[in-house]
Amino acid sequence: MPRLLSNFKGFNTAGFFLPGLIILIIISARGTAWAGEVAQSIVIEDAFGREISVNIPVQSIVVLNSDVLEVLRSLGAQDLVKGIYSEITKDGAFFQEFLDRPRVGSWKNANAELIADLNPCIVIAYENNPGTELEKQLSPFGIQVLRLNFYKLGTIAKEIITLGKIIGREQQGETLGAWYGKKLDVIQKRLDSVKEKPLVYVESYSAFHTAGPGSGGHDMCVYAGGRNLADEFKVPYSEVTSEWVISKQPDVIFKATAWGNGFERNDRIFFNNVRDEMAARPSWNLIQAVKNNRVHVLDSGIWTGPRAVIGVVYMAKRIYPRLFNDLDPEQIHKEFLESFQRIPYQGVYISENLSGGSK
Amino acid sequence: MNTDCLTIKNQDMKNQYKALKYRSLVLLVVFFGLLSVIVVIALCVGASSISVTDSILALIEDNGMARSIVWNLRLPRIIMALLIGIGLGTSGAVFQAVLRNPLASPFTLGIGSSAGFGAVIAIMFFNGLVNEYAVVTGAFIFTLLSSFIILGVSRYKGATAETMILTGIALMFLFSSLSSFLQYLGTKEEVHGIVFWFFGSLSKAGYREIVMSGIMILIPMPFMFRFAFDFNLMTAGDESARALGVNVPGVRMFSIALASLMTSGAICFTGVIGFIGLVAPHIARMIFGSDNLFLIPASALIGGVLVLSADTLGRTMWLPHVIPIGIVTSFIGVPFFLYLLIKKTKEYW
Repeated sequence: MPRLLSNFKGFNTAGFFLPGLIILIIISARGTAWAGEVAQSIVIEDAFGREISVNIPVQSIVVLNSDVLEVLRSLGAQDLVKGIYSEITKDGAFFQEFLDRPRVGSWKNANAELIADLNPCIVIAYENNPGTELEKQLSPFGIQVLRLNFYKLGTIAKEIITLGKIIGREQQGETLGAWYGKKLDVIQKRLDSVKEKPLVYVESYSAFHTAGPGSGGHDMCVYAGGRNLADEFKVPYSEVTSEWVISKQPDVIFKATAWGNGFERNDRIFFNNVRDEMAARPSWNLIQAVKNNRVHVLDSGIWTGPRAVIGVVYMAKRIYPRLFNDLDPEQIHKEFLESFQRIPYQGVYISENLSGGSK
Repeated sequence: MNTDCLTIKNQDMKNQYKALKYRSLVLLVVFFGLLSVIVVIALCVGASSISVTDSILALIEDNGMARSIVWNLRLPRIIMALLIGIGLGTSGAVFQAVLRNPLASPFTLGIGSSAGFGAVIAIMFFNGLVNEYAVVTGAFIFTLLSSFIILGVSRYKGATAETMILTGIALMFLFSSLSSFLQYLGTKEEVHGIVFWFFGSLSKAGYREIVMSGIMILIPMPFMFRFAFDFNLMTAGDESARALGVNVPGVRMFSIALASLMTSGAICFTGVIGFIGLVAPHIARMIFGSDNLFLIPASALIGGVLVLSADTLGRTMWLPHVIPIGIVTSFIGVPFFLYLLIKKTKEYW
């Protein structure tokens, strides 16, 4: 019999595989049980409009840009931030409490190894930066990359509510989302009565690069009740000629600047200088907006991003000084910083208004 | 009998050279005419609805807005485009002649990359997004720095073409890497500004910029003509040129320094428009031959034609968008260059 058994090759093979099979069955059974015990997931829509499943609650996050960091602070989720983008030092005063968190590289090219080392539940990044290689690099570690923008006015409230759900701060997310909606509604309701909207030239950070559809600057202009000179453009940040701007005769001009940080400014000198240089461009004295002192320069802190709504209020007030006479952008900014960000209001964010009417 | 033969041969050669000279002069006039036509076209087209007649009248009389647009916006842009074309075309021809290399251009010697690095530093650390003179200064300083390094190494190791080209290529990679490193650290606004600077643009051209650029580009021109004959001798090799009395290292170092200054004057104000410095001298060589006496002015004219055509097309063919000049110069220059290259039956270099 023993000989018979030892000669029976199939038995040996079965003897080798059977324990393995049993272990596999046990593991999968346990796995299902474990999954049943803890893993709960929700389906959300990311910046691409894709429906993706996220395991909740998310207990640790690596943050790859200032926009999401600002939103997380608004939701009171500072403790969840395990790692941050390296350029945070440029906003050091604004994000002081995060300066000691581990840095994981650039907003557009993060270091997957450092992120893997921190082992967060998720990484939150912009729609297109860093590239999709980050997902490939982090998926073996079970780290999910979530693409949410938080800089487009049309989607920011929805994205905030989504983030609130993911991190178990649903109520805070709803409150903040509603706050955005309320501020924008106030403007939209008043704009309903406006028949002829003024023509606005919106210049991005580089000279003569305008903000067309698809850019945050365009959205801000439209929400503020302006008719963007570039509203039919197919390119978000197209270069235009001075001649074209002059020939279109905009009623109001807005320019974004990104030097230093409005949060740390004590006066308007910088913004005023940028405005004056812009108005002094060759032949710009022929433009209606320049003649009427309606050139305004805004800080990058309120230009797109989570505080774009404050930029919109400033813009609406500068476009329609009478219609929004009672609206105080500084007060709204103060409310946002003190109630949501929980930091004291400070800084200067816009050039002096030479056309009179508003701050 | 033999003396007679030689005299006849010499006479033949002289006649041939005279004919060649005459042909080249005629071609130069033709290209000058072509350039003038493009200038007039560039003056008459734009985003505003000013008529052609009003555009031309604006040059001599005050016809309101048309005058302001022509004098303040179109004319400075045209002059700047011409200066850039002249600067890059001439410097490219000089680099190719003194380094005896068809691939030599301001960019082979790292001058474009160093200017780019200077601009990146200015954008990131000196408010270059708003203060355009910070960018100009940064680009200028680093252009000169890279030229000094090339000249320094050449002085130490002997001013041979190989030393200069290899040093230039090394610097090109160094400054490109440094620019990439800083871009890596940049915020999205800074990266935005840097990308646009590298595309090149003439939107900020004004008379002040023209004066500064003009000084750097036009002052070295007479020296380039003065050395044209020496360049001809140097193309036959350093030894031959030396035997014929040319101070090869001196001419090479001095002309490289001047050509670098011209390149700097061309790209500091507008961003990297690299391709012109390489292709304009080649187009000129295919049409005019290799005599630097004609090759240098021809490269300047062709550079002017290319840059002005590219800018005029770039600002009018997709109104109201402006297609960056760095992109359009390649769009129009490469097909033309390839056409000439295929059509040319003889080896021209």
